[in-house]
Amino acid sequence: MSAADTRAARVLSLTLDPDRDVDRIHGNGINTIDIEAVEGRYMLSGGADGVIVIYDLENYSGKLQYTCKAVCTVGRSSRHVHKFSVETVQWYPFDTGMFVSSSFDKTMKVWDTETLKPAEVFQFEGNVYSHHLSPIARKHSLVAVGTNNPKIQLCDLKSGSRIHVLQGHRAEVLSVRWSPRYEHILATASADSKVNVWDVRRASGSLFTLDQHNGEKSKASAEAVNTAHNGRVNGLCFTSDGLYLLTTGTDDRMRLWNSASGENTLVNYGKVCNESRKKLQFAVSRGCSPDFVFVPCGSSVAVYALHTGELVTMLRGHYNNVDCCEFHQDHQELYSGGKDSNILAWVPVLRTADVEDESNNDNKGAAGLSAVNPAFQDAWSSDED
Amino acid sequence: MNRKRALISDTFNLKKRRKGSEKFGAGNDKDEPKDIKSTLEYLMTLFPRKLFNDTLPQVVLKHQLYSIHNDKTLVDKEVNKLRECGELLMFQLGFDSEAFGLVFTSDYKTKVLAGEEGKGTRTTVEKFLEKVLPSCTDLSFSKDKMLKVFLFTDSEITQLVKSGVLTVREAGSWWLSIPNSGKFTKYFIQGRKAVLGMVRKSKYGEVLQADLEERRTTSQVKFPLRYHVHDIVGAELVER
Repeated sequence: MSAADTRAARVLSLTLDPDRDVDRIHGNGINTIDIEAVEGRYMLSGGADGVIVIYDLENYSGKLQYTCKAVCTVGRSSRHVHKFSVETVQWYPFDTGMFVSSSFDKTMKVWDTETLKPAEVFQFEGNVYSHHLSPIARKHSLVAVGTNNPKIQLCDLKSGSRIHVLQGHRAEVLSVRWSPRYEHILATASADSKVNVWDVRRASGSLFTLDQHNGEKSKASAEAVNTAHNGRVNGLCFTSDGLYLLTTGTDDRMRLWNSASGENTLVNYGKVCNESRKKLQFAVSRGCSPDFVFVPCGSSVAVYALHTGELVTMLRGHYNNVDCCEFHQDHQELYSGGKDSNILAWVPVLRTADVEDESNNDNKGAAGLSAVNPAFQDAWSSDED
Repeated sequence: MNRKRALISDTFNLKKRRKGSEKFGAGNDKDEPKDIKSTLEYLMTLFPRKLFNDTLPQVVLKHQLYSIHNDKTLVDKEVNKLRECGELLMFQLGFDSEAFGLVFTSDYKTKVLAGEEGKGTRTTVEKFLEKVLPSCTDLSFSKDKMLKVFLFTDSEITQLVKSGVLTVREAGSWWLSIPNSGKFTKYFIQGRKAVLGMVRKSKYGEVLQADLEERRTTSQVKFPLRYHVHDIVGAELVER
């Protein structure tokens, strides 16, 4: 069994981690979480109360049961805290010295992690639904911002300027995402049911817009031509290789698109309940074969197989709506945050010890076997690590 | 009605989902027949022909297939294959943008021609069935296409609409449709609502599928109960 198959096996056995807790700092719902890409150690979360918290995910306590402690918080008492709910947080992709948050108080703040003070504040005219920094960009440092306004603003972190505007949508922009493959490609989703893909180097409009019927005009009713969904499109996620784009909409559907051609791959996920009026943050696994999509669905997280559309399982554990989820690529763990102010960690049940010291390697194989689905038992008899 | 706080029992999954009790021998169609065509044929047998005095061809909805086969993408692919080779026709039924009706082409042709006996529109309809259906798998036709590609005249198009083979979609474009299907749609929606109501009103909002199928239905439900069950499961209006 290859490494990818083993990772897939771990994803298939995700359950709520009984040993790990995340410090409960937020008093209100958690809207967004982000795990830094460099070490995979620190997690940012933004809440409906405007508070931003940074957690350390690693366990150095030496005990089995541990809580992911909050390292620092931008709480209500801070002078610089957002006045209304924080909708998106994202680490600077290249180091944890900086992070960016945007909020319904119409601002986007670029924070210095050491001092927890904003180095830059961008003011907007409407609620900011979503922002994204390209995870691979070396030639530019643009942040795409989706707001109430149909125009998408590109703010430059280096110079602080924001003259670049992308026009094309007709209603508020609910989600923006840079491609993890090409640093100039940006996808944007809007309440006008359309998803546009842009190349920011071009002066003219979008490269193409996603059409759910792939040009078959006969299938659509007249208004639905050239729309990605039959409702507001509120979630966007690229697969980690950037070749495919997933979109979710309030028509309760999730669609998989070929990101180069814009073609709908017509994978049928069935009804993916979606009542969110803001953006939906969902995640895709990486390096597993097959890959999985984790979508918040009511008060649970639904796990679908990426290319077949099969619903694998529903992860239940939250007491209220789940708003966001993020997949930890290195450990195949899922973190989800929701209105119940909890962040839950889901780990593959195959591991019994979650202590991060290398000497405990032998522990991992043996003790976990009794809980393992017989179909995957063979994978663990060979020492994967 | 949206509860502000979810029930604790929901979180801990205390409510056992018992609707999928077919495993215990009640039904024999859960045996994963890999062949979509045979599933289609089975579902067609559930369609009540007498109800419409045999004027309608047997119609099955695409999402009913989802209730029997687990892999929706595969079902979609197979259905498209059958449509490509001309055995199956798909219609936009109108009450739901995602509800597609499927009819075997041979059935459709016989019923339509039978319905056209003695009517003046017969020749036009025949011409339509011969020319258009084999070559084009679209669900709707625009005026351009009808006039230029298929060389129908305006009056012929009017005749086709009159006979029920085409229904107006908007100015200058038409859906392919089944003549006299209005009754079907009406009874179908009525029946669906009634069956959903039966499930919702039962204690805890769940019913054993075997149990449900044995219940006496109200006069609202004109189709066999199984037909509706496949429909609501496939459309994900209920959870199995």
